[in-house]
Amino acid sequence: MNLNIDAIKEMTYDAIVIGSGVTGGWASKELTEKGLKVLMLEKGHQLEHVTGYEYAMKDPWQTKYNGRLTMEQKETHPKLMRDYPYNEMTETYWMKDIDSNYKEVKRFDWYRPNIVGGKSIMWGRQSYRLSDIDFEANAREGIAVDWPIRYKDVAPWYSYVEKVVGISGEALNLPQLPDSEFLPPMEMYCVEKEVRKRIEKNFPGRTMTIGRVANLSKAAQAQLGIGRAPCQYRNKCSLGCPYGAYFSTQSCTLPYAAKTGRLTLRPDSVVTEIIYDENQKRATGVRVIDAVTLQAREYFAKVIFVCGSALGSTAIMLNSKSNRFPNGIGNDSEQLGHNLMDHHFRIGASGDWEGDLDKYYIGRRANGIYVPRYRNIGNDKRDYVRGFGYQGGGSRQNWQRNIAELSFGADYKEELTKPGPWTMGLGGFGETLPYYENRMYLDKNEKDKWGMPLVVFDAELKENEKKMRVDMMNDAKEMLESAGVKNVKAYDRGSYLGMAIHEMGTARMGRDPKTSVLNGNNQMHGVKNVFVTDGACMVSASCVNPSLTYMALTARAADFAVKEMKRKSI
Amino acid sequence: MKRREAIQQAALMMGGLLSAPTLAGAMGRITNTGPSVSVSAEQEALLAEVADVIIPTTTTPGAKAAGAEKFIVRVMRDCYPKSDQESFYAGLAKLDTTSKTKFGKGFMELDAAQKNEIVKQSMTDDKPFFLRMKELTTTGYFTSEIGATKALEYLPVPGQFNGCMPMKPGQKTWAL
Repeated sequence: MNLNIDAIKEMTYDAIVIGSGVTGGWASKELTEKGLKVLMLEKGHQLEHVTGYEYAMKDPWQTKYNGRLTMEQKETHPKLMRDYPYNEMTETYWMKDIDSNYKEVKRFDWYRPNIVGGKSIMWGRQSYRLSDIDFEANAREGIAVDWPIRYKDVAPWYSYVEKVVGISGEALNLPQLPDSEFLPPMEMYCVEKEVRKRIEKNFPGRTMTIGRVANLSKAAQAQLGIGRAPCQYRNKCSLGCPYGAYFSTQSCTLPYAAKTGRLTLRPDSVVTEIIYDENQKRATGVRVIDAVTLQAREYFAKVIFVCGSALGSTAIMLNSKSNRFPNGIGNDSEQLGHNLMDHHFRIGASGDWEGDLDKYYIGRRANGIYVPRYRNIGNDKRDYVRGFGYQGGGSRQNWQRNIAELSFGADYKEELTKPGPWTMGLGGFGETLPYYENRMYLDKNEKDKWGMPLVVFDAELKENEKKMRVDMMNDAKEMLESAGVKNVKAYDRGSYLGMAIHEMGTARMGRDPKTSVLNGNNQMHGVKNVFVTDGACMVSASCVNPSLTYMALTARAADFAVKEMKRKSI
Repeated sequence: MKRREAIQQAALMMGGLLSAPTLAGAMGRITNTGPSVSVSAEQEALLAEVADVIIPTTTTPGAKAAGAEKFIVRVMRDCYPKSDQESFYAGLAKLDTTSKTKFGKGFMELDAAQKNEIVKQSMTDDKPFFLRMKELTTTGYFTSEIGATKALEYLPVPGQFNGCMPMKPGQKTWAL
């Protein structure tokens, strides 16, 4: 086995981007468009746009198990099998737990993709801006550290990325949920329109809107120009979209970056370490293990963008040890791996809607409704801090109803061929506070298939979240009942950190290098040519879906980095 | 060097990778030990008959015409632990035994009314078997080409969304 046979020159780029997901794609697009020669490294295998989406155009009868997992798939993914995102159709998109196991002092659900495009392929696409209520929250309440930025710093970058991505939604002009640059909103079902009216009437200050979603309800010329078509309403997004109708690396940022001729993409490249040069006092490159051949390589660059997803990036940083940084690169503050956050959810209420039996729909809307946060805003004051939003929606029951009833035969069959009754549900997504003791760290002994130390999770929901969940459940029930929904049942299915796949916070931003890893430009305090722009940078969690914020922060950081490079300050 | 060879070589360098079931076992999971329950042509035919009672031919073809039994066999074989497979096929055998005790002939030979009676009796005799059989039959049928396109309305690429429109007379449930 020959190691490092390539000449160093061939291994040297202007920038290395670790990861090819939502933020890696954005970093690569921005940096290549600004003239840099970029190497994008992805741990997972290649996934070609359109032709690689194996199940996207299959009919249900072309699957073997209609989505079920085989015993073998459960055995190779003992942790991933615990929830729905991993199924027959997406099996090859996720990493096998047995290739890279992790440890749980407390249960943690870690969803790791194994493909170019990362979670941008399977993401939920819900896209919301943070507001100053979020950016000021830590300072106002004396929790953790203050965000070093405010809404006005990010607002133009939200606009910038939204015009490229395409966000469908409705403008509401709410202080707690600033509007995006919207494409036309998707329509609500009749039941949702009526429930919205009644919520707004019965609960002044609350509203319900259609979800803000990164699907093209209408494609602009620029989007058509890179091969994206409007949403076809198939609701098979997580399989990969052959129409490029939702934002993913493959549909959007990768074609932009590739068009510059300055991008090199290397799949199957497991970054294990960022190389720090003690003399130059800067990062000079990365160490990579080839996922297939296990061959080791090094690549070099002037600037490194760490976009390997919050926890993946943090693991790499913790594993990047030097004399200067014995506990992980940039970790002077000892905050690296701490303040682990996610959203808590799987709680709410749902019930039956007795009307609208003469109403139906056409198309499968890959989107639901959204109730923006209303708790602890204005004069509302609860026995917990922060708040939550609801996602959910109406639906008309299909052939899957009555499956657990003691019935069969011609009547059973004929009944199922007609649309069933409508239902309506609300599910809360709550903010989790940044607790220093909620953390991930590297195991001292065990390593994975690629030689990376196993990640250990020790994090849990605490009192503030538990109190919030009482409201999340009761408010949902109360709103639905007052809106005329019948047989409303509240539920709490329990929420473990990681399950919302909004993991964040483990390399937080801040003003003070003593208490934070990154500055307000996502730049490492201690190593100026390293930028971390994925969820690891988050200082607080807000209650809204975070990917849009990561995109805006990445574009903003790339702009800053290139300006600094031109000034020769990094 | 071909990709597969490269992987094997790498595995050798690492001291040999453990097989998936070995590793899963080491990680404390219950594994599907031994081969799956083998299913004879007779059992498969019997499954098809029972499925066809649960979802019979009406104005549209039923479960047997849609080949739902193939889905049932495949899912039971690959997606359930061996112990679940054993209880499921024991339930199927019991249904046939009940038929012989009650009517003096196997389920396959019964008339429609007698078949209905036996399936109905399985709801109390072996409720877990009935519910699993019903669930797999229903899913197998409505996700089959016949079920999805004939019993239901199948529109793979709608190309539009209208969330609030009058339902047209005779509207069938969307297959997806």
